Amino acid sequence: MKIDPSSHVPIYLQIVGEIRAAIDAGVFRPGEMLPSLRVLAADLRVNPNTVQRAYDELEREGIVLPRRGVGLFVADRDTRSARGEAEKTVLAAFQRGVQVGQDAGLPPERIRAVFDQALDQALRKGRTRS
Amino acid sequence: MIAEASANLAIELNGVTRRFGKATAVDDLTLRIPQGHTFGLIGPNGAGKSTTIKLLMGILRPQVGYVRILGIDVFAEPSRMKKRVGYVPEVPQMYRWMRVGELIGFCRAFYPTWNDDECARLLDLFALDTGKKVRHLSKGMAAKLSLVLALAHDPEVLILDEPTSGLDPLVREEFLDGVLGAVCKHQRTVLFSSHALEDVHRLADTVGLLYEGRLLLHRGVEELLTSARRIRAVLRDGCLPRYEPPGLVWQHIERREWMLTVSEFTPDLLQTLRKENDLEHLEVMGLNLEELFKDFVKGRKKTT
Repeated sequence: MKIDPSSHVPIYLQIVGEIRAAIDAGVFRPGEMLPSLRVLAADLRVNPNTVQRAYDELEREGIVLPRRGVGLFVADRDTRSARGEAEKTVLAAFQRGVQVGQDAGLPPERIRAVFDQALDQALRKGRTRS
Repeated sequence: MIAEASANLAIELNGVTRRFGKATAVDDLTLRIPQGHTFGLIGPNGAGKSTTIKLLMGILRPQVGYVRILGIDVFAEPSRMKKRVGYVPEVPQMYRWMRVGELIGFCRAFYPTWNDDECARLLDLFALDTGKKVRHLSKGMAAKLSLVLALAHDPEVLILDEPTSGLDPLVREEFLDGVLGAVCKHQRTVLFSSHALEDVHRLADTVGLLYEGRLLLHRGVEELLTSARRIRAVLRDGCLPRYEPPGLVWQHIERREWMLTVSEFTPDLLQTLRKENDLEHLEVMGLNLEELFKDFVKGRKKTT
Protein backbone atom coordinates (compact mmCIF):
# COMPACT_ATOMS: atom_id res chain seq x y z
CA MET A 1 0.00 0.00 0.00
CA LYS A 2 1.32 3.41 -0.91
CA ILE A 3 0.27 6.96 -0.19
CA ASP A 4 1.54 10.25 -1.57
CA PRO A 5 1.67 13.13 0.94
CA SER A 6 2.43 15.61 -1.85
CA SER A 7 -0.91 14.87 -3.53
CA HIS A 8 -3.89 17.19 -3.36
CA VAL A 9 -6.00 14.16 -2.39
CA PRO A 10 -6.37 13.94 1.40
CA ILE A 11 -4.44 10.93 2.75
CA TYR A 12 -7.55 9.32 4.25
CA LEU A 13 -9.15 9.18 0.79
CA GLN A 14 -5.95 7.72 -0.65
CA ILE A 15 -6.09 4.99 1.99
CA VAL A 16 -9.77 4.29 1.19
CA GLY A 17 -8.84 3.92 -2.50
CA GLU A 18 -5.85 1.69 -1.77
CA ILE A 19 -7.84 -0.65 0.47
CA ARG A 20 -10.73 -0.83 -1.95
CA ALA A 21 -8.27 -1.75 -4.72
CA ALA A 22 -6.53 -4.29 -2.49
CA ILE A 23 -9.88 -5.96 -1.73
CA ASP A 24 -10.82 -6.02 -5.42
CA ALA A 25 -7.43 -7.51 -6.28
CA GLY A 26 -7.87 -10.21 -3.64
CA VAL A 27 -5.09 -9.04 -1.32
CA PHE A 28 -7.75 -8.96 1.38
CA ARG A 29 -10.48 -11.61 1.03
CA PRO A 30 -13.99 -11.53 2.49
CA GLY A 31 -13.93 -12.41 6.18
CA GLU A 32 -10.31 -11.36 6.62
CA MET A 33 -9.29 -8.69 9.08
CA LEU A 34 -7.76 -5.35 8.08
CA PRO A 35 -4.52 -4.34 9.83
CA SER A 36 -5.04 -2.49 13.10
CA LEU A 37 -4.99 1.32 13.14
CA ARG A 38 -1.62 1.49 14.82
CA VAL A 39 -0.01 -1.01 12.48
CA LEU A 40 -1.25 0.64 9.30
CA ALA A 41 -0.43 4.14 10.61
CA ALA A 42 3.14 3.04 11.37
CA ASP A 43 3.48 1.26 8.00
CA LEU A 44 2.31 4.27 6.03
CA ARG A 45 3.94 6.80 8.38
CA VAL A 46 0.74 8.75 8.90
CA ASN A 47 -1.27 10.01 11.85
CA PRO A 48 -3.46 7.19 13.26
CA ASN A 49 -6.45 9.56 13.26
CA THR A 50 -6.15 9.66 9.47
CA VAL A 51 -6.33 5.86 9.26
CA GLN A 52 -9.32 5.97 11.61
CA ARG A 53 -11.07 8.34 9.21
CA ALA A 54 -10.35 6.03 6.28
CA TYR A 55 -11.68 3.03 8.21
CA ASP A 56 -14.82 4.96 9.19
CA GLU A 57 -15.41 5.72 5.52
CA LEU A 58 -14.92 2.08 4.46
CA GLU A 59 -17.33 1.01 7.18
CA ARG A 60 -19.87 3.60 6.09
CA GLU A 61 -19.65 2.28 2.54
CA GLY A 62 -20.25 -1.25 3.79
CA ILE A 63 -16.95 -2.54 2.40
CA VAL A 64 -15.82 -3.63 5.84
CA LEU A 65 -17.79 -4.62 8.91
CA PRO A 66 -16.74 -4.13 12.52
CA ARG A 67 -16.62 -6.96 15.04
CA ARG A 68 -16.77 -5.44 18.45
CA GLY A 69 -13.44 -5.39 20.21
CA VAL A 70 -11.71 -7.35 17.46
CA GLY A 71 -11.35 -5.19 14.39
CA LEU A 72 -12.63 -4.57 10.90
CA PHE A 73 -13.40 -7.43 8.54
CA VAL A 74 -13.86 -7.42 4.78
CA ALA A 75 -17.55 -7.82 3.97
CA ASP A 76 -18.49 -10.64 1.63
CA ARG A 77 -19.06 -9.84 -1.99
CA ASP A 78 -22.85 -10.20 -1.77
CA THR A 79 -23.14 -7.65 1.02
CA ARG A 80 -20.82 -5.27 -0.82
CA SER A 81 -22.53 -5.61 -4.17
CA ALA A 82 -26.02 -5.45 -2.61
CA ARG A 83 -25.10 -2.05 -1.23
CA GLY A 84 -23.62 -1.03 -4.57
CA GLU A 85 -26.84 -2.05 -6.33
CA ALA A 86 -28.96 -0.20 -3.78
CA GLU A 87 -26.90 2.94 -4.33
CA LYS A 88 -27.38 2.64 -8.10
CA THR A 89 -31.15 2.42 -7.64
CA VAL A 90 -31.15 5.42 -5.33
CA LEU A 91 -29.03 7.39 -7.81
CA ALA A 92 -31.45 6.62 -10.65
CA ALA A 93 -34.39 7.78 -8.51
CA PHE A 94 -32.54 10.99 -7.62
CA GLN A 95 -31.73 11.62 -11.26
CA ARG A 96 -35.42 11.38 -12.12
CA GLY A 97 -36.17 13.81 -9.27
CA VAL A 98 -33.56 16.28 -10.52
CA GLN A 99 -35.11 16.12 -13.97
CA VAL A 100 -38.56 16.89 -12.54
CA GLY A 101 -37.10 19.90 -10.69
CA GLN A 102 -35.23 21.21 -13.71
CA ASP A 103 -38.32 20.84 -15.91
CA ALA A 104 -40.22 22.94 -13.37
CA GLY A 105 -37.44 25.59 -13.54
CA LEU A 106 -36.08 25.13 -10.00
CA PRO A 107 -32.51 26.39 -9.49
CA PRO A 108 -29.98 23.76 -8.33
CA GLU A 109 -29.75 25.09 -4.78
CA ARG A 110 -33.53 24.68 -4.40
CA ILE A 111 -33.36 21.13 -5.72
CA ARG A 112 -30.63 20.32 -3.21
CA ALA A 113 -32.66 21.93 -0.41
CA VAL A 114 -35.64 19.73 -1.30
CA PHE A 115 -33.46 16.60 -1.11
CA ASP A 116 -32.15 17.67 2.29
CA GLN A 117 -35.72 18.26 3.42
CA ALA A 118 -36.81 14.80 2.24
CA LEU A 119 -33.88 13.16 4.00
CA ASP A 120 -34.45 15.11 7.22
CA GLN A 121 -38.12 14.19 7.25
CA ALA A 122 -37.37 10.50 6.69
CA LEU A 123 -34.77 10.47 9.47
CA ARG A 124 -37.11 12.26 11.86
CA LYS A 125 -39.88 9.79 11.09
CA GLY A 126 -37.49 6.90 11.70
CA ARG A 127 -36.59 8.32 15.07
CA THR A 128 -40.18 8.74 16.30
CA ARG A 129 -41.02 5.23 15.13
CA SER A 130 -38.22 3.56 17.07
CA MET B 1 -18.00 26.64 31.33
CA ILE B 2 -14.91 28.57 30.32
CA ALA B 3 -12.83 26.84 32.97
CA GLU B 4 -14.00 23.50 31.64
CA ALA B 5 -13.11 24.42 28.06
CA SER B 6 -9.62 25.55 28.97
CA ALA B 7 -9.07 22.43 31.07
CA ASN B 8 -9.13 20.36 27.87
CA LEU B 9 -6.64 22.63 26.15
CA ALA B 10 -3.10 21.35 25.90
CA ILE B 11 -1.71 24.58 24.48
CA GLU B 12 -3.11 28.05 24.79
CA LEU B 13 -1.69 31.35 23.57
CA ASN B 14 -4.00 34.22 24.33
CA GLY B 15 -3.51 37.64 22.70
CA VAL B 16 0.25 37.19 22.74
CA THR B 17 2.49 39.94 21.39
CA ARG B 18 6.28 39.90 21.34
CA ARG B 19 8.36 42.70 19.89
CA PHE B 20 12.10 42.94 19.34
CA GLY B 21 12.87 46.66 19.27
CA LYS B 22 10.55 48.08 16.65
CA ALA B 23 9.90 44.75 14.93
CA THR B 24 6.84 42.79 15.98
CA ALA B 25 7.65 39.08 15.74
CA VAL B 26 4.36 37.79 17.15
CA ASP B 27 1.34 40.03 16.88
CA ASP B 28 -1.74 39.49 19.08
CA LEU B 29 -1.61 35.75 18.53
CA THR B 30 -4.35 33.53 19.90
CA LEU B 31 -4.02 29.81 19.39
CA ARG B 32 -5.75 26.97 21.22
CA ILE B 33 -4.88 23.33 20.72
CA PRO B 34 -6.99 20.67 22.43
CA GLN B 35 -5.41 17.64 24.07
CA GLY B 36 -4.60 14.75 21.78
CA HIS B 37 -4.22 16.87 18.67
CA THR B 38 -1.20 17.03 16.40
CA PHE B 39 -0.72 20.55 15.14
CA GLY B 40 1.60 21.65 12.32
CA LEU B 41 2.80 25.26 12.40
CA ILE B 42 3.81 26.52 8.98
CA GLY B 43 4.79 29.89 7.55
CA PRO B 44 7.54 31.58 5.57
CA ASN B 45 10.92 32.37 7.13
CA GLY B 46 10.60 35.21 9.60
CA ALA B 47 6.86 34.67 10.12
CA GLY B 48 7.36 34.17 13.86
CA LYS B 49 7.30 30.37 14.15
CA SER B 50 10.45 30.04 16.26
CA THR B 51 9.47 33.01 18.41
CA THR B 52 6.07 31.38 19.01
CA ILE B 53 7.74 28.15 20.10
CA LYS B 54 10.16 30.01 22.38
CA LEU B 55 7.17 31.79 23.93
CA LEU B 56 5.52 28.41 24.48
CA MET B 57 8.61 27.05 26.20
CA GLY B 58 8.93 30.11 28.43
CA ILE B 59 12.27 31.01 26.82
CA LEU B 60 10.86 34.36 25.72
CA ARG B 61 8.42 36.43 27.70
CA PRO B 62 5.34 37.86 25.99
CA GLN B 63 4.92 41.63 26.35
CA VAL B 64 1.15 41.24 26.07
CA GLY B 65 -1.04 38.20 26.66
CA TYR B 66 -0.37 34.86 28.32
CA VAL B 67 0.80 31.37 27.43
CA ARG B 68 -0.47 28.22 29.12
CA ILE B 69 0.43 24.61 28.61
CA LEU B 70 -1.86 22.05 30.24
CA GLY B 71 -3.37 24.97 32.11
CA ILE B 72 -0.01 25.98 33.60
CA ASP B 73 1.23 29.53 33.04
CA VAL B 74 4.61 28.84 31.44
CA PHE B 75 6.19 31.97 32.89
CA ALA B 76 4.81 31.68 36.41
CA GLU B 77 5.64 27.97 36.83
CA PRO B 78 8.26 27.00 34.24
CA SER B 79 9.59 23.94 36.06
CA ARG B 80 6.12 22.49 36.65
CA MET B 81 5.36 22.98 32.96
CA LYS B 82 8.66 21.48 31.77
CA LYS B 83 8.12 18.24 33.69
CA ARG B 84 5.11 17.53 31.48
CA VAL B 85 6.48 18.80 28.17
CA GLY B 86 9.07 17.41 25.76
CA TYR B 87 10.95 19.94 23.65
CA VAL B 88 13.12 19.49 20.57
CA PRO B 89 14.75 22.83 19.74
CA GLU B 90 15.75 23.82 16.22
CA VAL B 91 19.42 23.35 17.09
CA PRO B 92 19.97 20.58 19.65
CA GLN B 93 21.29 22.06 22.89
CA MET B 94 23.18 19.34 24.70
CA TYR B 95 26.43 19.18 26.64
CA ARG B 96 28.77 18.32 23.80
CA TRP B 97 31.57 16.98 26.01
CA MET B 98 29.39 14.30 27.60
CA ARG B 99 28.94 10.80 26.30
CA VAL B 100 25.41 9.89 25.14
CA GLY B 101 24.92 7.61 28.16
CA GLU B 102 26.17 10.27 30.59
CA LEU B 103 23.88 12.89 29.10
CA ILE B 104 20.92 10.54 29.49
CA GLY B 105 21.81 9.92 33.14
CA PHE B 106 22.14 13.67 33.66
CA CYS B 107 18.72 14.47 32.18
CA ARG B 108 17.07 11.51 33.91
CA ALA B 109 17.75 13.11 37.29
CA PHE B 110 15.48 16.05 36.50
CA TYR B 111 12.38 14.01 35.74
CA PRO B 112 10.46 11.93 38.26
CA THR B 113 8.49 10.39 35.37
CA TRP B 114 11.58 9.22 33.44
CA ASN B 115 10.76 5.95 31.65
CA ASP B 116 13.86 3.73 31.30
CA ASP B 117 12.10 1.21 29.07
CA GLU B 118 10.93 3.87 26.64
CA CYS B 119 14.37 5.47 26.65
CA ALA B 120 16.00 2.12 25.85
CA ARG B 121 13.42 1.41 23.15
CA LEU B 122 14.12 4.75 21.45
CA LEU B 123 17.91 4.39 21.68
CA ASP B 124 17.51 0.99 20.07
CA LEU B 125 15.10 2.26 17.38
CA PHE B 126 17.58 4.98 16.46
CA ALA B 127 20.67 2.75 16.86
CA LEU B 128 22.30 5.37 19.10
CA ASP B 129 25.64 4.38 20.64
CA THR B 130 25.60 5.41 24.32
CA GLY B 131 29.41 5.36 24.47
CA LYS B 132 29.82 8.06 21.86
CA LYS B 133 30.60 11.66 22.74
CA VAL B 134 27.82 14.09 21.85
CA ARG B 135 30.21 16.27 19.87
CA HIS B 136 31.10 13.32 17.65
CA LEU B 137 27.48 12.68 16.63
CA SER B 138 26.36 13.44 13.07
CA LYS B 139 23.61 15.99 12.59
CA GLY B 140 21.04 13.23 12.14
CA MET B 141 22.21 11.34 15.23
CA ALA B 142 22.16 14.54 17.31
CA ALA B 143 18.59 15.23 16.16
CA LYS B 144 17.53 11.72 17.14
CA LEU B 145 19.21 12.00 20.55
CA SER B 146 17.41 15.29 21.06
CA LEU B 147 14.11 13.49 20.37
CA VAL B 148 14.99 10.66 22.78
CA LEU B 149 15.68 13.22 25.53
CA ALA B 150 12.38 14.97 24.78
CA LEU B 151 10.33 11.74 24.93
CA ALA B 152 11.93 9.63 27.63
CA HIS B 153 10.07 11.31 30.51
CA ASP B 154 6.70 10.42 28.90
CA PRO B 155 5.60 14.03 28.36
CA GLU B 156 1.95 14.83 27.72
CA VAL B 157 2.90 17.54 25.24
CA LEU B 158 5.67 17.37 22.63
CA ILE B 159 6.94 20.55 20.97
CA LEU B 160 9.32 20.42 18.01
CA ASP B 161 10.92 23.35 16.19
CA GLU B 162 11.60 22.41 12.55
CA PRO B 163 12.66 18.94 13.59
CA THR B 164 13.40 17.44 10.17
CA SER B 165 15.07 20.39 8.47
CA GLY B 166 18.49 19.51 7.13
CA LEU B 167 18.11 15.77 7.73
CA ASP B 168 18.73 13.30 4.91
CA PRO B 169 15.65 11.37 3.68
CA LEU B 170 16.46 8.18 5.58
CA VAL B 171 17.11 9.91 8.88
CA ARG B 172 13.97 11.96 8.33
CA GLU B 173 11.90 8.78 8.01
CA GLU B 174 13.41 7.34 11.19
CA PHE B 175 12.77 10.61 12.99
CA LEU B 176 9.15 10.63 11.78
CA ASP B 177 8.76 7.07 13.08
CA GLY B 178 9.90 8.30 16.47
CA VAL B 179 7.44 11.20 16.43
CA LEU B 180 4.62 8.95 15.20
CA GLY B 181 5.27 6.53 18.02
CA ALA B 182 4.81 9.52 20.30
CA VAL B 183 1.60 10.60 18.52
CA CYS B 184 0.16 7.11 19.01
CA LYS B 185 0.41 7.38 22.78
CA HIS B 186 -2.94 8.09 24.26
CA GLN B 187 -3.99 11.74 24.35
CA ARG B 188 -0.52 13.10 23.70
CA THR B 189 -0.47 16.51 22.07
CA VAL B 190 2.17 17.43 19.50
CA LEU B 191 3.03 20.84 18.07
CA PHE B 192 5.69 21.03 15.39
CA SER B 193 6.86 23.75 13.04
CA SER B 194 7.96 22.74 9.58
CA HIS B 195 8.68 23.78 6.03
CA ALA B 196 8.15 20.20 4.87
CA LEU B 197 4.50 20.32 3.88
CA GLU B 198 4.54 16.59 3.13
CA ASP B 199 5.38 15.91 6.77
CA VAL B 200 2.53 18.19 7.80
CA HIS B 201 0.12 16.25 5.57
CA ARG B 202 1.33 12.95 7.07
CA LEU B 203 1.35 13.92 10.74
CA ALA B 204 -0.91 16.84 11.50
CA ASP B 205 -4.60 16.82 12.42
CA THR B 206 -4.71 20.59 12.11
CA VAL B 207 -2.45 23.14 10.50
CA GLY B 208 -1.82 26.78 11.35
CA LEU B 209 -0.30 29.25 8.92
CA LEU B 210 1.66 32.05 10.52
CA TYR B 211 2.40 35.18 8.52
CA GLU B 212 3.97 38.36 9.91
CA GLY B 213 3.31 37.14 13.43
CA ARG B 214 -0.39 36.50 12.83
CA LEU B 215 -2.34 33.33 12.29
CA LEU B 216 -3.76 33.49 8.75
CA LEU B 217 -5.36 30.08 8.90
CA HIS B 218 -6.09 27.34 11.43
CA ARG B 219 -7.93 24.29 10.09
CA GLY B 220 -8.07 20.54 9.79
CA VAL B 221 -5.58 19.40 7.17
CA GLU B 222 -7.90 16.98 5.38
CA GLU B 223 -10.81 19.39 5.59
CA LEU B 224 -8.65 22.12 4.06
CA LEU B 225 -7.60 19.91 1.16
CA THR B 226 -11.18 18.80 0.63
CA SER B 227 -12.64 22.29 0.48
CA ALA B 228 -9.93 24.30 -1.31
CA ARG B 229 -9.77 24.45 -5.10
CA ARG B 230 -7.96 26.28 -7.86
CA ILE B 231 -10.31 27.61 -10.54
CA ARG B 232 -9.14 28.53 -14.00
CA ALA B 233 -11.53 30.79 -15.87
CA VAL B 234 -11.16 32.32 -19.31
CA LEU B 235 -12.78 35.72 -19.68
CA ARG B 236 -14.51 36.89 -22.83
CA ASP B 237 -12.66 39.51 -24.86
CA GLY B 238 -12.52 42.88 -23.16
CA CYS B 239 -14.14 41.66 -19.92
CA LEU B 240 -12.82 41.87 -16.38
CA PRO B 241 -14.04 39.87 -13.38
CA ARG B 242 -17.07 41.52 -11.80
CA TYR B 243 -17.67 39.09 -8.97
CA GLU B 244 -15.17 37.78 -6.48
CA PRO B 245 -16.29 34.62 -4.69
CA PRO B 246 -16.31 34.33 -0.90
CA GLY B 247 -13.26 32.62 0.59
CA LEU B 248 -10.99 34.02 -2.12
CA VAL B 249 -7.41 33.19 -1.16
CA TRP B 250 -5.50 34.43 -4.18
CA GLN B 251 -6.19 35.52 -7.72
CA HIS B 252 -4.22 36.44 -10.78
CA ILE B 253 -5.32 37.82 -14.13
CA GLU B 254 -3.16 37.59 -17.19
CA ARG B 255 -4.63 38.29 -20.62
CA ARG B 256 -7.91 36.38 -20.65
CA GLU B 257 -6.91 33.88 -18.01
CA TRP B 258 -8.27 34.40 -14.52
CA MET B 259 -6.80 32.07 -11.89
CA LEU B 260 -8.41 31.91 -8.46
CA THR B 261 -7.82 29.88 -5.34
CA VAL B 262 -10.77 29.56 -2.99
CA SER B 263 -10.85 28.00 0.46
CA GLU B 264 -14.56 27.06 0.44
CA PHE B 265 -15.40 25.45 -2.85
CA THR B 266 -18.93 24.27 -3.65
CA PRO B 267 -20.43 23.34 -7.02
CA ASP B 268 -22.83 26.27 -6.55
CA LEU B 269 -19.85 28.59 -6.61
CA LEU B 270 -19.20 27.70 -10.25
CA GLN B 271 -22.79 28.50 -11.14
CA THR B 272 -22.50 31.90 -9.48
CA LEU B 273 -19.15 32.64 -11.11
CA ARG B 274 -20.65 31.81 -14.50
CA LYS B 275 -23.73 33.90 -13.86
CA GLU B 276 -21.90 36.97 -12.57
CA ASN B 277 -19.00 37.07 -15.04
CA ASP B 278 -18.55 36.82 -18.79
CA LEU B 279 -16.69 33.56 -19.03
CA GLU B 280 -15.75 31.39 -21.97
CA HIS B 281 -14.34 28.53 -20.00
CA LEU B 282 -14.19 27.25 -16.44
CA GLU B 283 -12.24 24.40 -14.90
CA VAL B 284 -11.49 23.23 -11.37
CA MET B 285 -8.34 21.66 -9.94
CA GLY B 286 -7.28 20.38 -6.53
CA LEU B 287 -4.28 21.85 -4.72
CA ASN B 288 -1.78 20.16 -2.47
CA LEU B 289 -0.73 21.68 0.85
CA GLU B 290 2.37 23.33 -0.58
CA GLU B 291 0.45 25.03 -3.39
CA LEU B 292 -2.20 26.17 -0.94
CA PHE B 293 0.40 27.52 1.45
CA LYS B 294 2.02 29.54 -1.35
CA ASP B 295 -1.33 30.91 -2.51
CA PHE B 296 -2.27 32.01 1.00
CA VAL B 297 1.05 33.84 1.39
CA LYS B 298 0.96 35.39 -2.11
CA GLY B 299 -2.65 36.46 -1.58
CA ARG B 300 -1.74 38.14 1.67
CA LYS B 301 1.32 39.89 0.20
CA LYS B 302 -0.82 41.49 -2.50
CA THR B 303 -3.35 42.90 -0.09
CA THR B 304 -0.83 44.36 2.36
